[in-house]
Amino acid sequence: MDVLHWDGTLSAKDFKIGAFAFAQKWESHNSGFPPWSWVLCPKHPWLASPEEEGYLSLEKICISRPNEEDIDQISQIDTGEEETSCPGNEDVIDDATLVQSGHHELHYCDFHIVYSSTFRVPVLYFRAYCSDGSPFPLDEIEKQLPACSANELSKSKWTFITQEEHPYLKRPWYKLHPCGTAEWMKLLFLSDAAKPKFDVVLELYLLSWFSVVGQVFGLRIPFKISN
Amino acid sequence: MAAAESPSSVRKVVVHLRATGDAPILKQAKFKIPGTDKFAKVIDFLRRQLHRDTLFVYVNSAFSPNPDELVIDLYDNFGFDGKLVVNYACSMAWG
Repeated sequence: MDVLHWDGTLSAKDFKIGAFAFAQKWESHNSGFPPWSWVLCPKHPWLASPEEEGYLSLEKICISRPNEEDIDQISQIDTGEEETSCPGNEDVIDDATLVQSGHHELHYCDFHIVYSSTFRVPVLYFRAYCSDGSPFPLDEIEKQLPACSANELSKSKWTFITQEEHPYLKRPWYKLHPCGTAEWMKLLFLSDAAKPKFDVVLELYLLSWFSVVGQVFGLRIPFKISN
Repeated sequence: MAAAESPSSVRKVVVHLRATGDAPILKQAKFKIPGTDKFAKVIDFLRRQLHRDTLFVYVNSAFSPNPDELVIDLYDNFGFDGKLVVNYACSMAWG
């Protein structure tokens, strides 16, 4: 594959390779988060050797930000669950006394990275819900997002967060629309004077992609991961 | 050779802003910023200079840094030749 003429997209097969590479690096370097898991969705399960499709899944990630007035009150929030990762909350939680701010509801997000055969790129699907499982609507989600991305949203650049049927689960999820992805993936990889080989591109594709889309939710990947 | 040292002994990082895609090229594309500043400052500077709200900003190694990252950390990881090259592009069509 000649990287110079690459269009920024991936084949379904390459997506799977890239997804596994991403999940592996994530697990080794991103210990603040649970690992991504690969969910298998056989395309034609009745065949003897079904075509294997799948997607990456990362679920029950806490996306709540503490309110300003809660920061002083919140110590360890014990939800009784193991390891809810709260990006951005890490510095304010210590394990002193147990105080739960009454009016501060915790919200969670499930993320799926699904391959789009139309656009030939990964797509981030997400849905948010409260601790009792009830769905959390988009305009409320937007209030929980980090300040800079909430800022972007208010400028209507993000009207392309669309609600769609999850291609495998057949339920309404939100997604970040993929139609510009190939263009900025090309920029990410081809702006250096030294053009990488395609197998390097494949190895890093999902990481680079996620460094962009993860910012919407304040999900950071440590940049050492791309070394 | 590390980042340039200034008299106030705050380590400053040389940042070189590089236009990619169809982005306008800045007249003043090189400047120094304290390493302890967040990357958000570079992004905001770009936005103000270009009068664009939506920018796609990234460094080499195909990585788009989180605005909360410290410039000195980015320099240590992605800098070379005494500077941190920050690429930017405009008209990023998402949808």
